[in-house]
Amino acid sequence: MKTAATVKKNRSRRSLSKTDRFTLTAFVGIPTLLQIILLWVPAVVTIILSFTYWNGIRLKDIQWAGIQNYKNIFINNPLFYQALKNNAIWLAFFVVVATPLGIMLAYQIDRGIKGHAFYESIYYLPVVLSLAVIGIIWNFMLQPGGFVQGLMGRDIGNAISIYGNPKINTWVILGIASWRHIGYIMLLYLSGLKSVDPALKEAAAIDGATEWQIFRKIILPTMQPVNIIIVVITLIESLRAFDLVYIIYGSPTIFPLLNLLVFQNFAGQGISMKGAAYAVILLLLCIVPIITYLRITFKEDLK
Amino acid sequence: MSEEKNVVSRRSVLKGAAIGGAALATGGALSAESASAATRLKGSTVKWTTRGGGATGDKIAKAVNDAFTKKTGAKVVAQQVNSDDFQNNFAQIMQGSPDDAFGWMAGYRSNHFGEMGLLADLTREINRLKSTLPTAAIQGATSPVTKKPYILPTTYYPWGLHYRKSMVKDIGMNPEKINNWDDFVKLMTLTQKKGLVGYSLGAKGGWEAMGTFDILNARVNGYKYHIDLLNGRAKWTDARTKETFKYFAQLIPFMNDNVMDISWDGMRDLLLQKKTGAMMMGSWFANDFKAKSQADYDDLWVVPFPEINPKFGVDTIDAPLDGISVAANGKNVTGGKALAEFWASPEGITEAVKAGDTNIYVSKSFDTSSYDAFNKQKLAVLASAKNIMFFLDRDARGDFAGPVVGPAIQNFIKKPSDINKILENVQAQWDALPKN
Repeated sequence: MKTAATVKKNRSRRSLSKTDRFTLTAFVGIPTLLQIILLWVPAVVTIILSFTYWNGIRLKDIQWAGIQNYKNIFINNPLFYQALKNNAIWLAFFVVVATPLGIMLAYQIDRGIKGHAFYESIYYLPVVLSLAVIGIIWNFMLQPGGFVQGLMGRDIGNAISIYGNPKINTWVILGIASWRHIGYIMLLYLSGLKSVDPALKEAAAIDGATEWQIFRKIILPTMQPVNIIIVVITLIESLRAFDLVYIIYGSPTIFPLLNLLVFQNFAGQGISMKGAAYAVILLLLCIVPIITYLRITFKEDLK
Repeated sequence: MSEEKNVVSRRSVLKGAAIGGAALATGGALSAESASAATRLKGSTVKWTTRGGGATGDKIAKAVNDAFTKKTGAKVVAQQVNSDDFQNNFAQIMQGSPDDAFGWMAGYRSNHFGEMGLLADLTREINRLKSTLPTAAIQGATSPVTKKPYILPTTYYPWGLHYRKSMVKDIGMNPEKINNWDDFVKLMTLTQKKGLVGYSLGAKGGWEAMGTFDILNARVNGYKYHIDLLNGRAKWTDARTKETFKYFAQLIPFMNDNVMDISWDGMRDLLLQKKTGAMMMGSWFANDFKAKSQADYDDLWVVPFPEINPKFGVDTIDAPLDGISVAANGKNVTGGKALAEFWASPEGITEAVKAGDTNIYVSKSFDTSSYDAFNKQKLAVLASAKNIMFFLDRDARGDFAGPVVGPAIQNFIKKPSDINKILENVQAQWDALPKN
C-alpha cells in the first residue's frame, strides 16, 4: 500500500512541469490559505473564547470561565431547549416532508406530466428569492394588519395571532421555509434526473418493474452523487435557519433557533461569550452528522 | 419719524457692538489651551453620524452642523445610519474608524463603552454647560463607576399611560382623573365591556413590555428597589419582585390576543384606530397622530402611570435620556468634542428646534412657551416624577437585559402561572454573569 502510494506520488511529481507545479500550488494553496485564515482560525478562536468571559472590547478583560458558559446554557436557559426543539422539528420536517416532496415533484416533472413546464416554473420561482425577502413577503401577508388578515376582514384589533401563537407558528414558519426548500430540491434533483440514461428505465419497464420499483432500484442508486448533496443541504439548511425568522420577528426569542441565540449573545449590547458557546454547540451539531454521513457513503462507494 | 428710527437702529448697532466687544473680551480671557483648540478646529474636518430620523433627521443635523461651521470654521461631514444597525454594531464601529461625534443614549449604553475607553471623557464640556443643565441630567450622564460623563445630555421623553380623551369620556370616566390603580382597572374593564382591548401591549421585539414591567415595579416597590434589582443588589426571586408580577398578571386578561405579534407600531395603531383603552409607551409616537389628523392629535392624552403603593405615589418615571457622545478613537477628537458641545448648547438647540426638532430638551434654555396642550402635558408628566429611570435595557447591563429579561417577560405573558420558575431562571442567569 505504502510503496504503491509513494511510487504513484513520485511518478506524478516527475510528470509535473515547473509551470504546472506553480499553477497547482497557486490553485490549491491560495484557497486553502484563505480557508484557514477566514474559517478555521476564527472557528478555533471561537472555540477558545467559548470557555471565557469577555465583552468583546479589550483583550485584557478576557477572563477564563471554564465550562461556565455551557453550564449556564444547559442548566439555566430555557431558551436553549426551545431553540433545540425548534431546530429539531425544522430538520425532521425537512427530512420527512419538504425534501421528499421536492424529489417527488422533480420525478413527476421529469416524466413529462401535462403542464410540467408550468409547474416547474411555479415551484422554481421562490428559489430565486432570498430567505430574507421571503420573510418580508410573508410577514406582509400574515402579520396583524397584513394582507391575508385584511382579506379575512380582521384589522389590527382582532387580528388572528399567527406568528405569536406557539400552537401554530412552528408550522406556519416551516410552511414558508418549505415553500422555497421544495423548489430548491426539485431543481437539484431535476438536473440530476436529466442525466439518467432513459434506456435504463425502459429496460426495467420491459422487465416488468413497477413505477415505484424503477424509482427505488434504478433512479435512486444512479442519483447517488445528487442524493449526497441533497442530504447535506437539507441538514445544513435546517440547522443554519436564521434569516427568515429574524426578519419576521425582529427579535430572537419568540421563535428561538440556535442561530438566533448565537446572534443575540454575540452582537450588540448583549455580547458575551455565551454567544461563542452557542456557536460551538451549533458547529458540533452541524459537523458531526455530516462527517459521519459522508464517511459512511464514501466507504460504501469504495467497496 | 425716519430720523428717529435711524437713531434707534444706530443705538441697537452700538448695543450690538458693545456685546460683541464683551464677547471678544471673554474670548481673550479664555485659556491658551482652548484658544489653540479653536485655531486647530478652524479648517479641520469633523465627522458626524445621525442615528436614524429620515429626512427630518438630516435636515436638523444640517442646520446644527452648518451653524457650527459658521461659528468655528470647522467643516462637518455628516452621514445618516440605520439606528438599529448602529446600535448592534456599536462596539465594532467604535473600535474601527468611527465618526467623531454622534447622537447616543445615556445610561448603561454610554457608561459601559466610556468605561471601556471607547467614548471620550466629556468632563470639561459638561462643566462649561453646567449653568444650562439640570443636576439630574448631569448625574444621569455620568458613569457611577468612573464618575466621568461620556455623553452630553440633550433630549428625553416620558413613558406614560396614553389614551384617548374621547374614549374615556365615552365610558363615563373623567380623562383628567386616572390617578390610581382602581381608576385604571375601571378604565380597562369598561373599555373591554365595549368589545375593545382594555390594555394594549406588544412584545414582538422583546423590549416593548419592559416599559410596563419597569413602571409596575417602581410603583409597587419604589425606584430604589427597581434599580437595585437591575444591578443585582436585590433578588428576582424576592417576594417583592413576585408582587410586581402579580400586578402584571392582572393586566393580562385586558390585553390584546396578539401581544407576541405586534411591536410598538402595532400598539400605536390600536390607539390610533380607537381599538384600545390605554397603553404604556414612550410619547415619541404622538407625531404620527398629528400626521393622521389634528383631531386625533388633540384627542391623545398622557398621564403618569397610576399610583399603586401610596408610599411611592407616582414619584418615578421611565424617561430615557439621549445626548451626544464623542468617539475616543475618532480622527478629530477635539473637533468631535467641540461639535458635541455645540449640539448640547443653547445655540445648537435653537438651531435644531428651528429645523423642526420636536424633542423635549433638558437644557434650561429650552423654550417651551409655544408648546401645545399635549406637549405641555408631557412636560407635566416628566415634572411629576422625582426619580428618573432610563428604561430597563439602559439601566441594566447589556448581556442581561436583552438576552435574559426580555425573553423572561415574554414567557411570563405567554404563561403567567410559570412565574416562579421564570424568576428562578432569571436569577440563576444573573448569578452566572461574570462580575468584575
